[in-house]
Amino acid sequence: MVPDFIDITLSKTQRKTPTVIHKHYQIHRIRHFYMRKVKFTQQNYHDRLSQILMDFPKLDDIHPFYADLMNVLYDKDHYKLALGQINIAKNLIDNVAKDYVRLMKYGDSLYRCKQLKRAALGRMCTILKRQKQSLEYLEQVRQHLSRLPTIDPNTRTLLLCGYPNVGKSSFINKVTRADVEVQPYAFTTKSLFVGHMDYKYLRWQVVDTPGILDHPLEERNTIEMQAITALAHLRSAVLYVMDLSEQCGHTLSQQLELFNNIRPLFANKPLIIVANKCDVKKIHELSEENQKIFAELSAEGIPVIETSTLTEEGVMRVKTEACDRLLAHRVDTKMKGKKVHDVLNRLHLAVPTRRDNKERPPFIPDGALARRKAMEVDAPKRKLERDLELELGDDYVLDLQKYWDLMNMEETHDKIPEIWEGHNIADYIDPDIMKHLEDLEKEEELKEQAGEYESDEDTEDEEMQEIRQLAKQIKEKRKLKIMASKEKDIHGPRMPRTAKKVDRRILEKEMGELGLDMEDKDNSHYAGQARRSRSVAKKRKREESAPPTSRTRSQSASRPPRDVSGVRDPRMLKKVRKMMKNSQKDMNRMGKKGESDRHVFDLKPKHLLVGKRKLGSTSRR
Amino acid sequence: MNLLTSTSCDFSEPQNEHIELHRKRHGYRLDHHERKRKKEGREAHERSHKARKMIGLKAKLYHKQRHAEKIQMKKTIKMHEQRKTKQKNDEKTPQGAVPAYLLDREGQSRAKVLSNMIKQKRKEKAGKWEVPLPKVRAQGETEVLKVIRTGKRQKKAWKRMITLQFFHCFVPLGFSFHFLYCFSLYNGLRFKKAHVTHPELKATFCLPILGVKKNPSSPLYTSLGVITKGTVLEVNVSELGLVTQGGKVIWGKYAQVTNNPENDGCINAVLLV
Repeated sequence: MVPDFIDITLSKTQRKTPTVIHKHYQIHRIRHFYMRKVKFTQQNYHDRLSQILMDFPKLDDIHPFYADLMNVLYDKDHYKLALGQINIAKNLIDNVAKDYVRLMKYGDSLYRCKQLKRAALGRMCTILKRQKQSLEYLEQVRQHLSRLPTIDPNTRTLLLCGYPNVGKSSFINKVTRADVEVQPYAFTTKSLFVGHMDYKYLRWQVVDTPGILDHPLEERNTIEMQAITALAHLRSAVLYVMDLSEQCGHTLSQQLELFNNIRPLFANKPLIIVANKCDVKKIHELSEENQKIFAELSAEGIPVIETSTLTEEGVMRVKTEACDRLLAHRVDTKMKGKKVHDVLNRLHLAVPTRRDNKERPPFIPDGALARRKAMEVDAPKRKLERDLELELGDDYVLDLQKYWDLMNMEETHDKIPEIWEGHNIADYIDPDIMKHLEDLEKEEELKEQAGEYESDEDTEDEEMQEIRQLAKQIKEKRKLKIMASKEKDIHGPRMPRTAKKVDRRILEKEMGELGLDMEDKDNSHYAGQARRSRSVAKKRKREESAPPTSRTRSQSASRPPRDVSGVRDPRMLKKVRKMMKNSQKDMNRMGKKGESDRHVFDLKPKHLLVGKRKLGSTSRR
Repeated sequence: MNLLTSTSCDFSEPQNEHIELHRKRHGYRLDHHERKRKKEGREAHERSHKARKMIGLKAKLYHKQRHAEKIQMKKTIKMHEQRKTKQKNDEKTPQGAVPAYLLDREGQSRAKVLSNMIKQKRKEKAGKWEVPLPKVRAQGETEVLKVIRTGKRQKKAWKRMITLQFFHCFVPLGFSFHFLYCFSLYNGLRFKKAHVTHPELKATFCLPILGVKKNPSSPLYTSLGVITKGTVLEVNVSELGLVTQGGKVIWGKYAQVTNNPENDGCINAVLLV
């Protein structure tokens, strides 16, 4: 463990302080470099050792119960010595660092400073190597300490004690959720165990101790001493557990001996004697002397309760008895103390004054009284489904339809389909359907009475009726024909009218036939458009070729390109071109796409260029 | 089954030997032993992978440590193999055993001791010493004395500063002035204690220095009290509780410095018995 500590600190020094130094640097820089290393190592050791010293509890600062327990388990002297050694080591390391830093001020070469630093680090590590034993001891203490149960010495506690194997651990297993090992051999429980339980809306601790044998205090071993420590320091109710059947290997008289021996530890504590294993033997089955023991104990005012952790009789009684006694004891102690008066002075119970002599008891309705009586008698009022289930066993079927409230009770078990012909019946059920039907019927009656439904059919003569019938037939036939013709696709997909090009002559002819005046339409829009979109494929004849006219003397029909539009002469054109190129120069140099391109390039990305160049080939980044 | 436990306290903290208890009650995981065996089997591969891939200072330290381990392993194996065969043991002769033709002679007698003392006194007078480090590299003046310039224009160079460890005494043992220079000292380099090893007991003590007896480089350094490697010091050995033949308590002895104090920051010496 210590070599690892040294390794870690030294490698930390190597990593976290600058590593590069050369002979030709200025001497103060060299000195500072090495001094920093010495101080860094010293700081690390100092911090770690201080942390160790701080984290371990000081035996004088903690509750005396824990101080005593730690003394029993770890030996107070050894513990203090180990911590003292660590403290000394820490101071020595500090002194070494101070000395060597002082000496390094006089170092005048890199070699000398380096040797001094080496000597300093070496001495610090040697000091630490000598602490190996202390550190190992403290590590073991730490591990054990972390697993100790957290016993609050000030809260309500029940403490179990007695010979080994009498049933203390079984008791705590019954009463709390602690899972203590229970075995037939003695000293199964080797240290204190704590469990928690609730009673009267309060939380209680139950502490299980290892068994105590009957010999004087000086001869007790570590395990028993833990039990004695708990007895001595915890203000709790003591449950002295005795084995009635003597299966633990000790007779009742021996158990009584032990009880009398540790009696002084029970001063000022509510005491209960738990006579365990009563399923094997009861008190009245015991012999005369033994019964006398218990009689004497009860005569002294100590309750003796028979229990059996196997059959669980009496366990609750012990629990309630012990808790009540402890509560009463604690309340008494508090009343006798000084702090109570602060509270008592501020409490006042206000009672209303009587105005006459009439008795006014609280009113409880008869139903409540009857129910309370019924609850006490605890008779079941109706047959529950559960009872039915138990009765029928395997034949039982959950039949909720029998509880339905229908007008006709014979229909309760009718089968109702849920889906019919693809429709969900629930969608069609209207809960108010009967009411609506009635309303509707009433309305119809009224309407009928009013004479709305008297049709005009009798006034018409036969001719009209025939005509009507014929008309109906014609309508139907027409509809069918239209539908049929729509289904036929004679013409196929058709181009829209606007996609076709209409010739000028045809257009003028048709329009003229229709009656429009189509003379002299050369300036019209459609004529102009036609001229403009003359197809390019029209070739010129060779003889007619004329030298290409210069661009500037273009025909009025053609449009000038944008970069020469508005340009008067070639000189101006040249200047215009030059200006354009000039304005683009800056942008091109910066690699911009245009005048609005404001992108910022990342020419030295951090992820490629940052970091130490460690071992390995470093020919490129 | 706990029928009497109230359900509100749901926690039960792990106490004391809960790990062992759990193991005892529930045993191990079904694949525990398999996994353990495989992990142990992989260890050799992982160690070799680590040894191959490590670089830098870490690798140097690791390889050094591993080399030492391997040497030990080889030795143990050899020892085991040797145990199986029987060999002649040449070192059976006990210490102090004397061959047959010398059996009649006595050991060193009292007379011899007396004559040893006389011899030592003679040697002291002559100034010759038998010291553990007979030859030491002489320290040049530039190493030991640093020039300090003084004066308005920093031209005067008569001051010298001693840059090594020294022991200062107001009455130097061997008194001499230098006519050219004046010496001054750094107080931080003043040393009063030395770590002295007794060569036979092999124990080291931190003893106060009484004075510098001789510095092998130059008598000037002796007079100044500069301590370098090879210097003979006088140390206060009253701590050791040595007693002469006559019953007198020895409280001063010579010791020679064995390290370079300017490099190590401390004075290690070996006692001259």
